[in-house]
Amino acid sequence: MNAKLRDLFVTNIMAIVLGFVASGIMILFLNKNPIDAYYVLLTSILRDQYTFADIFVKATPLMFTALAFAFTYKANLYNIGAQGQFYIGAVIAVAGSLFFENILPSWLTLFVVLILTVLGAGIWGSFIGFVKARYNANEFLVSLMSTYVALAIMNYLLRTVLIEGKGEYPQSDPLNSSVWLPKIISGTRLHIGFVLAVLTCIGIWILLYKTPLGYRIRAVGYNAEAARMSGINSKKIYILAFFISGALAGAAGFTEVNGVQHMLVQGFNADIGTAGIGIAILANGNPIGIIFAAILFGALKVGGTIMGQMSNIPTSIIELMQGFVMVFVILAYFLRTWLDNNREKRKLQKAVLK
Amino acid sequence: MINLLSMAIMMGTPLLFGAIAEVIAERTGVMVTAIEGIFIVGAWAGFVGGYLSGSLAIGFLFAIIAGVIVASLYGWICIYLKQHQVVTGVAINILVLGLSAFLYRVIFGVPTIPLTVNPLAVIPIPLLSSIPVIGEVLFNQNILTYIIYIIAPLSYFMLYKTSLGLTIRSAGENPEAVDVAGINVYKVRFLAVLFAGAMGGIAGAFYSIGFLGLFTTNIIGGRGWIAFAICFLGNWNPKGAIIGTLAFGFAEALAIYMQAKGGNSFFPNELFIAIPYIMTIVLTISRKSFNIPTKLGIPYKKEN
Repeated sequence: MNAKLRDLFVTNIMAIVLGFVASGIMILFLNKNPIDAYYVLLTSILRDQYTFADIFVKATPLMFTALAFAFTYKANLYNIGAQGQFYIGAVIAVAGSLFFENILPSWLTLFVVLILTVLGAGIWGSFIGFVKARYNANEFLVSLMSTYVALAIMNYLLRTVLIEGKGEYPQSDPLNSSVWLPKIISGTRLHIGFVLAVLTCIGIWILLYKTPLGYRIRAVGYNAEAARMSGINSKKIYILAFFISGALAGAAGFTEVNGVQHMLVQGFNADIGTAGIGIAILANGNPIGIIFAAILFGALKVGGTIMGQMSNIPTSIIELMQGFVMVFVILAYFLRTWLDNNREKRKLQKAVLK
Repeated sequence: MINLLSMAIMMGTPLLFGAIAEVIAERTGVMVTAIEGIFIVGAWAGFVGGYLSGSLAIGFLFAIIAGVIVASLYGWICIYLKQHQVVTGVAINILVLGLSAFLYRVIFGVPTIPLTVNPLAVIPIPLLSSIPVIGEVLFNQNILTYIIYIIAPLSYFMLYKTSLGLTIRSAGENPEAVDVAGINVYKVRFLAVLFAGAMGGIAGAFYSIGFLGLFTTNIIGGRGWIAFAICFLGNWNPKGAIIGTLAFGFAEALAIYMQAKGGNSFFPNELFIAIPYIMTIVLTISRKSFNIPTKLGIPYKKEN
C-alpha cells in the first residue's frame, strides 16, 4: 500500500478511536461506565435485522448531503446550505407525491417526483452559484442564510397549503403507500433509496474524476485564474456546481419523504446538513469515502439513540461523538501533512547523501 | 413604536458584541467561523454560572471563560496547525452544541419544570432616559447595552488611531511586514481570536441570562452567523457593524413583535422570522465596495 494511503487509514482510524475515547470521558461525568455504554452501543446495533438495517436507512440522506458539500468543495466553493436544499427537496417530494399519487401509476409518480425534487432543489441551489457568478456575492454567507429561508418556507407551507386534512398539526397528510419507495429487505425500513445513494456516490466520483466536466470543476477549484486562462468559463462552473450540489441535497428530501417518513413534519432531520459536512470532512471529500463515513455516522445515530433509551444517556451524546471525531479528523489532516513533509525531507536527504 | 425601537436596541446588543469581535479577528486575517459555537457555549456557561451561583456577574464571567476556551481550540487548529477555517468552524460548532446539551443534562438532569434565572434588569440612566423617544429608546436598557455603547467607538478608535490597530490590520493585509517588524503574527492573530471568544461568550450569555432567563440548545439559532454576516456587510469596520446591527436588531425586534401580536392575515409570521436572513442575502448581493482583508482565511506560514 502506498505510504499516503496508509497514513490516511491509520490517522483517520486513530481519529475515530480518539473521538470515542473523548466521548467516553464525557460519559464518565454521568457516573456511568463508558465501556458498558459502548458495549450497549455495539450490541444494540447488531441485535436484530431491523436495527442493523436502520444504520443504512440513516446513512442514505447523509450520503446525499455529504456529496452536496464535497461537490462544491472540489470547485473551492462552500455550500453550507445543504439543510435548506434538503428541505426544499422534501417539500417538493411531499407536494408532488400527494398531487400525483391518484393520477399517475405509482412507478411513474416516483419517477416524476424524483425529477421534480432534484430539479427544484437544484434550481434553489443554483441561485447561490448565480449570485456568486453574477455579483461576486460570498457563497458561504448566501448558502448559510438560504437554509433559514428554506426552513421558513417549509414551516409556512406546512401551516397553510400542505397542512393535513384534519388541520390539527402543522404536518402534511400521509402519502399513499403506493408511492412509498420499495423496501429492499422486508421486515426492515431499508428502502431502495440506499441503493440510489450508493450509486450516486459512485456516479459523482466518475463525474468528478473521469469526465471533462469534472476536470473543469476541479481545475476551477485548484486555481480559478489559471482555469480561466485556459478557457474554462468559471462562472458557468459556479452555477452548475451549485445546481448539482443543490440537486444532491434535494434528493435526500425525496428518499426521506418517500422512503422513510411518508409524510412531512415540521423540523424533521434538522441536523443532516451539518452532519453531511462532517462526513465530507471525514471522507476527505472523496465520494467513495463518503459511503463509508456516512455508514459510520448512521451507526452512531442508531446506536446512540438506543444507548440513550437503554442506559439513560442523553441522545446529545451522538452530536458529541460526531463533534469529537470531526475535530480529531482535522487534527489528523495536520498529522498527515506533517508526516508527508518529513518523508519528502528524508527522501531529499537520502538523494543528497548518494 | 418606542417599544419596538427599544427592543431593536436590545436585540442588537449581542449582535454588536459578536460583530465587533468578528471585525477585529477578521482584520488580523482569521475568520472566526466558530462564532456560532462560541455564542452557544456562552449561553450555556452563562446560564450554568448564573444559576448555580445566583449571580449574573459570575454567569457572565463563566461565559467569557468558556468562550475563550472554545476560541483557543479554534485558534490553535486554524492559526498554529494551519487547518481550514470553514471546516474547523463547522466541526467545533457541532462539538460545542453536543457538549452544551450533554453537560446541561449532566449538571441538571431532567428537570420537571424548566430552570430559570432572573435576567438582567433594565437600568434607566437618570436624566438621559427621560429625553422623549431618544432617551426612552437608548437609555432604558440593561448594563450590557451601555457597555457596548462604550466598546463600539473604542474599538473603532483602537483599530484606526493606535499602533495596536495598525498591527491588527497589517496582520490581515501584509503579515510578512508585521513579521519583519519583529511582531509575532501568530500571536497577534491568536490573541484577536481569544478576544472574539470573550466577546462572543458575553453575546451568547446575553440570550440565556441577559434576556430570556433560561437555556435551551436552540437558543442561538443562527444568531452567531448573523453577527458573522454583519461583519462582512459592515465592510470589516466597526462603524459598518453598528449600522448593520441596527438593521438586524430592528428586523429581529419586528419578528418578535409580530409574533407576540399574534397572527397577521396578510403577512405570515414566517416571513418576519426570515427577514434577517433574506436581508443578509440581499445585502450580500447588492454590496459592491468590499474592503475585505487581503489575507482573510489564509493561514500564515513563516518561512524557515
